[in-house]
Amino acid sequence: MDVMTLLSDFSLVLQEKKQTGAKIAAFLTHDNIPEEMMDACGIFPLRMIFGGNEELMNASHDYLPPSTCAFAQSSIGLFSVKPSKYQFLDLVDYFIVSNHCVSDITASEVITKYFNIPRLNFYVSYTKNDNSEKYFRLELEDFKRQLEDITKSKLTNDKLYASIRKYNNFKQKLYELNSLNLIGSKKLQIIQEAMLFGPSYYDRLTDFIERNREKQINQVNKFKNVILTGCSVFINDYLVDLIEDAGGNVCFFDTWIGNHYYSQVFSEDELNSDLNPYDLLVQRYKKNTLSDHSVPNFLDNKIAQLIKINNSQKKKTNKNVGVINHIIKFCDHFSMLSSYFKEKLQKEGITVLNLERDYSGSNRGQLSTRIEAYLELLE
Amino acid sequence: MSLYADEIIRFSSVLKMSYNLIAGRDELKRMKLRGKKHLISVALPFSDLLFGFPNLVPVFPIRMEVFKVSKYLSYLGSASSIFGWDNVSKILGFVKNAGIKEVSKVIDDIIEGVIETLNEKYNEMYDIGVERGISSDFCFALKTLVGMHVSKMKNVDATINYSIRCSAWNKYLESLKSINNEVKQIWLDIPPRNIGNAIELLEDNIRHAITDLEDISGNSFNDNQLREHFKVANQIHRDYKIIIYEIGSSNFYPCNPATFSEILALLSISFQDYNSNPKRYAQNIHQMVDEMRERIKKGIGMDVSKYKKIMVTPMFGGWEPKTHEIIYNLGGRAIYADWDVFKFLDDIPISSRSDPIEAYAYFLSDITENGIGCDNNVLTNSYMRVAKNLNADGLVFNSLFGCHSVSNCYAMLKDKIRRDLEIPSISLTFNRIGDNIEQVNTRLGAFMEMFK
Repeated sequence: MDVMTLLSDFSLVLQEKKQTGAKIAAFLTHDNIPEEMMDACGIFPLRMIFGGNEELMNASHDYLPPSTCAFAQSSIGLFSVKPSKYQFLDLVDYFIVSNHCVSDITASEVITKYFNIPRLNFYVSYTKNDNSEKYFRLELEDFKRQLEDITKSKLTNDKLYASIRKYNNFKQKLYELNSLNLIGSKKLQIIQEAMLFGPSYYDRLTDFIERNREKQINQVNKFKNVILTGCSVFINDYLVDLIEDAGGNVCFFDTWIGNHYYSQVFSEDELNSDLNPYDLLVQRYKKNTLSDHSVPNFLDNKIAQLIKINNSQKKKTNKNVGVINHIIKFCDHFSMLSSYFKEKLQKEGITVLNLERDYSGSNRGQLSTRIEAYLELLE
Repeated sequence: MSLYADEIIRFSSVLKMSYNLIAGRDELKRMKLRGKKHLISVALPFSDLLFGFPNLVPVFPIRMEVFKVSKYLSYLGSASSIFGWDNVSKILGFVKNAGIKEVSKVIDDIIEGVIETLNEKYNEMYDIGVERGISSDFCFALKTLVGMHVSKMKNVDATINYSIRCSAWNKYLESLKSINNEVKQIWLDIPPRNIGNAIELLEDNIRHAITDLEDISGNSFNDNQLREHFKVANQIHRDYKIIIYEIGSSNFYPCNPATFSEILALLSISFQDYNSNPKRYAQNIHQMVDEMRERIKKGIGMDVSKYKKIMVTPMFGGWEPKTHEIIYNLGGRAIYADWDVFKFLDDIPISSRSDPIEAYAYFLSDITENGIGCDNNVLTNSYMRVAKNLNADGLVFNSLFGCHSVSNCYAMLKDKIRRDLEIPSISLTFNRIGDNIEQVNTRLGAFMEMFK
């Protein structure tokens, strides 16, 4: 499905939801937002997972300086410019202001304030410890209260539990997709579509997996495998195409649109345990040690994870894979630690490309050259 | 620059504070080697907790550097140990008035050096930070802090890391272990919002940090000592506010306005670690208030009623130090009051709360929620509050390149200023000291024209 068709289909789905009286709450992509709580209240969680361009970035400069992360800039731009294919953003009823990073806070706040969209709040501690788990529970309770105020109805544990299970099945299915030996761009396209539509995409996802299970491609063998880590690649972004054009293949998406999302699942034992649904959500937050939001051990955990993935790939191909660390310009989380990250992994024999970019079309050629040069270095 | 020297030497309190800032290295060395004290790196005014221990010394890391002029200051320091600082100040004033040129030049050099050497050192730290690999996209403050730690982290036993809303700050703190993994990192998480029992969680986080500090100190935490420190800290806060509001807002200054701004800048930097000795700092700042009031009472100083009050903010993360001189030359007086914007100058509420940990938790929570704020709406209200309290005639907003947290909200602030305060404002971009003086000059020139 091309981007135009995807967004047009998505727009139709949202319109249908609105006709049934459902509300839509949008948020900047974030791995700690409890989407199940919204779903259980009949609110559709709309992830802002759309890539940007120069026009969108420029449109944000009336509100925030150009040294704001390019993704946050573009997200503001979508509401400011409102390109025709994104008209569905007019349907958004609420926007969640959260603190995944400070650009998340400020861009979301701009969207709510200047585009008159009522605001919901959901904040998460930066430091990961026992008390931050307790604080996470406080935010869940507060979020529940905000949702109940909107819907004027109680969010029961049963409803929430049912949504948790629904999302869990959905994520497990995505995890299955991840294990297919498909070319990276195709895999990413399906992951992006699925994450945009949510669990209602389950059947299409299952169908896709079944149709492709037997088509385990040999074609990937002609490419050089790389792990994509750092910032997510959003819908309508050409980065993965550039990697493939240069002879590479993303064999693993170690990003929020990717493994960080669908690896956060509950086991059947956990789901059937005595834990109430809020305990489960806290549990998931606790186990989310790869969230770039957290300090102080994010980078160590990330490096350990990448070494593990590399080792598992190496078993199959007897070769180290490369790591492309995708850094959207002015991203606090991935940029600050990038040189240390590279140094640590290179010591392990893993070749790293710190690829920093914004969404200007003009740097496409430069990105291609850097990717080509990098892939030549790989075994 | 002798403009400053002429004025500053008459304030022995300023001299002392400058000395402690620039020539602190030897004292810190003594504390560490002879006094067997433990140095703890601190940035932003988060040093209070350390004073609950007898042998922990907070240090804003640039103070461990060698400064070019420190030998002159060492002489002064030695003289002061014999004659006392007040007498040294008087002697300097006498020498200056007598026009003894060579000595007088040394005095000028000292004071001028304090400012210039600090700026040079900041730029040097910036370059070390960039060389170390921090992306040039980050703000001046983080680049210089990385530089300071690359340069001197080996001298400290720990860093104390308070999480705030700025994600770059939090990640910078995490990155410190890549500079030196041997130095312990002590984390203190401040919950983003005061909801439910978040204060209790914060109290518990403070207790955890105290346990970590006890490991380093080898001594048990002493809550009486901390309570006593908070009393001292509150006195410092009050005196600091007097300087900003009572003196800063008056129509007669104890010195020329550029000197006054210079003093505020020195306070802004030194407040972060109280020069490692809060009692001494409290005495100095109290003396500063006395000296200023005394001069005003005697009519020594300058009528500044015609000089427009310009609030320049935020500057704690780096700003062009020529700004206040330019503003002065253009008929204005620059006032720096960042720490009050973020509510660091509020009282730590020990009079209403007997447990100092609980009091500190409320203080930190208020800074987070109502000072720096969970979002730019609150943050811009904080800027507005101080501009209003100062009765400012104008506001110069320092847009720090690469800052995504406290200096990215000018668009929102401008609307509020226009609507609620009806005063002019302007935004200046800052990246590195000295890089952009011409543009600052031109823009401030245009801005100050509005008052004519």
